[in-house]
Amino acid sequence: MSTLTTYARAALPLVPGASLLPFVAGRGKQMPALERRVDGVSVDPAHLADYARVCGFTLRDTLPATYLHMPAFPLHMQLMTDGKFPFPAVGLVHLRNRITVHRPARVSEVFDVVVRTTPIEPHPKGRTFAIVSEARVDGELVWEERSTMLRRGGGSGEAASGSAPLTDGQTRGAPVTWTLPGDLGRRYGSVSGDRNPIHMHALTARAFGFKQAIAHGMWTKARALAALEPLPDAYTVDVEFKKPIFLPGRVTFAADDGRFVVRSAKNPDITHLEGTVTP
Amino acid sequence: MTPAAPRRAVVLGGNRIPFARSDSAYKKASNQDMLTAALDGLVERFGLAGERLGDVVAGAVLKHSRDFNLTRECVLGSRLAPETPAYDIQQACGTGLEAAILVANKIALGQIEAGVAGGVDTTSDAPLALNEDLRSILLDANREKSVQGRLRQLLRVRPQQLAPAIPRNEEPRTGLSMGEHQARTAAEWGITREAQDELAMRSHQNLAAAYERGFQDDLVTPYLGLERDQNLRPDSSIEKLAKLKPVFGGADGTMTAGNSTPLSDGAAVALLASEEWAKQRGLTPLATFVDAETAAVDYVNGREGLLMAPAYAVPRLLERNGLTLQDFDLYEIHEAFASQVLSTLAAWEDPVFCTQRLGRSEPLGAIDRSKLNVNGSSLAAGHPFAATGGRIVAALAKALHERGGGRGLISICAAGGQGVVAILEA
Repeated sequence: MSTLTTYARAALPLVPGASLLPFVAGRGKQMPALERRVDGVSVDPAHLADYARVCGFTLRDTLPATYLHMPAFPLHMQLMTDGKFPFPAVGLVHLRNRITVHRPARVSEVFDVVVRTTPIEPHPKGRTFAIVSEARVDGELVWEERSTMLRRGGGSGEAASGSAPLTDGQTRGAPVTWTLPGDLGRRYGSVSGDRNPIHMHALTARAFGFKQAIAHGMWTKARALAALEPLPDAYTVDVEFKKPIFLPGRVTFAADDGRFVVRSAKNPDITHLEGTVTP
Repeated sequence: MTPAAPRRAVVLGGNRIPFARSDSAYKKASNQDMLTAALDGLVERFGLAGERLGDVVAGAVLKHSRDFNLTRECVLGSRLAPETPAYDIQQACGTGLEAAILVANKIALGQIEAGVAGGVDTTSDAPLALNEDLRSILLDANREKSVQGRLRQLLRVRPQQLAPAIPRNEEPRTGLSMGEHQARTAAEWGITREAQDELAMRSHQNLAAAYERGFQDDLVTPYLGLERDQNLRPDSSIEKLAKLKPVFGGADGTMTAGNSTPLSDGAAVALLASEEWAKQRGLTPLATFVDAETAAVDYVNGREGLLMAPAYAVPRLLERNGLTLQDFDLYEIHEAFASQVLSTLAAWEDPVFCTQRLGRSEPLGAIDRSKLNVNGSSLAAGHPFAATGGRIVAALAKALHERGGGRGLISICAAGGQGVVAILEA
């Protein structure tokens, strides 16, 4: 399925009455245990090079931690457009993303990728659930990712258990400035395959309530991770996506002692992303 | 206060990525990517993560202007301590070996304890420059104070100036490619097509055998899907090589794509240290970096062939060390072209060359060909210009150590009529 049709299908539950149709997501209240998998994922070095270039990574024989998000992403979309999926995919907010690298994943390896949903949990601003993705090489778990998604509205006011915030609001190290071009969303979109209209162009973003196109959260995470190279063989990189970055734009990046933060260059009170890298 | 007397600098090993053919496996890898990959592998092999080394010295022949501090940037992207200093050098194909000389000399003088020497080159991710006329117009426009003045300058731009300047493998002072230069030298020395093809075939066979017996296992780290050098043809034969058409020296030329090195991409580094430093870390010295010499010839006025400088550098090095050409157990003569190796060997055997040009009373003589490039050389591996020195230093040091001792000679010819040579001993 092309990403365009995927996004069209993802948006279908927004059409009044459409969610009554059996093949359209967005009807249930409980999160069913959904799973999708794709086996035999191999890496094209030329694609890895394009990804490394757009995110700022050195092109190594080992994959950046964020790279395997890309083969998992179409499976995420499949889950969220499944008829049993309780929410419309469009409008879900990617709140937090935690990736654990158990050992370096090499370019020449072949990966079996599986993704599954977790139960709905309460959140002050709505309800959350996670999509857990795992990549294995010959049965050995080498990589896993937990994407926490928020469905706004109907917030219980209570926070979910085990989701202590990553952030402590402190300034970190000496900030460097990144200038993000207006076509960054299109560039990352063409490499990653995530052509969500909110990232593509101001006009398409406006249709979804954003004044300008916004940077992909996974690009921002990858760019931050690239700035932290060299990285250890095994680690966890956990980020919270706070506020969208409008394109074009300028942001600052600062890191200190395993913690990092991306802020608006114009207004340092606006934090876009905060994260940690832990061994 | 007296400075410390010179001490031994030893080679502990090396690491490189497999060399790729141009516009192939590494077509999107930059010099910085490849040199970082080579360094990463070295750090892993020798447990250097977090170590502050004395120096990392490397370079590239084809370099983007943005890569002014290429080696330092690679160090910062590697797991070496960020406090490790680095600098870039460039001496054409001699870059890697010259880097090793610089590191070895600082170790010998007690200025550093350990360092990395190497180089990288890509002919795929090549730097394109602005057309020279366009560059001149843009600089003129930049100097103008007014918008009108700038516009006046920019109106000078012509469509043909929009084509970029592509780096070319030619000597600026003669306009001839290196291959054309060497074709003249080959003709002058009467180097036959058969002899060149024979040398090329041996290079492929020797390198293939080196991979087969595991010799490369601790010298090469896979990169982007390549585990062996892409140019290597283990099934290379005289018959196949004989079918190739000449590419240099016209229709009667003897130099083909089979007996000339292809354009290639890759990176190589070698680790050198003092004996004390190696001992503290439990690392085994493979060979001592004994001495080195660099020579240059006047190829511009046609007094000597472009790639004949090693023929001059080696006798000077031998004399300083009280050695003869036959006092070596292994010879590593970089195969820029098979005919370059054969012209150099012919010159050393030639009484006229040795008396008239080297000023010797007798020729240096022949070498035992079975000791030459025993684990293959550039014709088989490929030759990413600045990476070749690091490849040879590490491989020769290992080969000498493996045979339980001995003396090895390295000879590398370089653009600009230069040659870099060195002696290793185990």
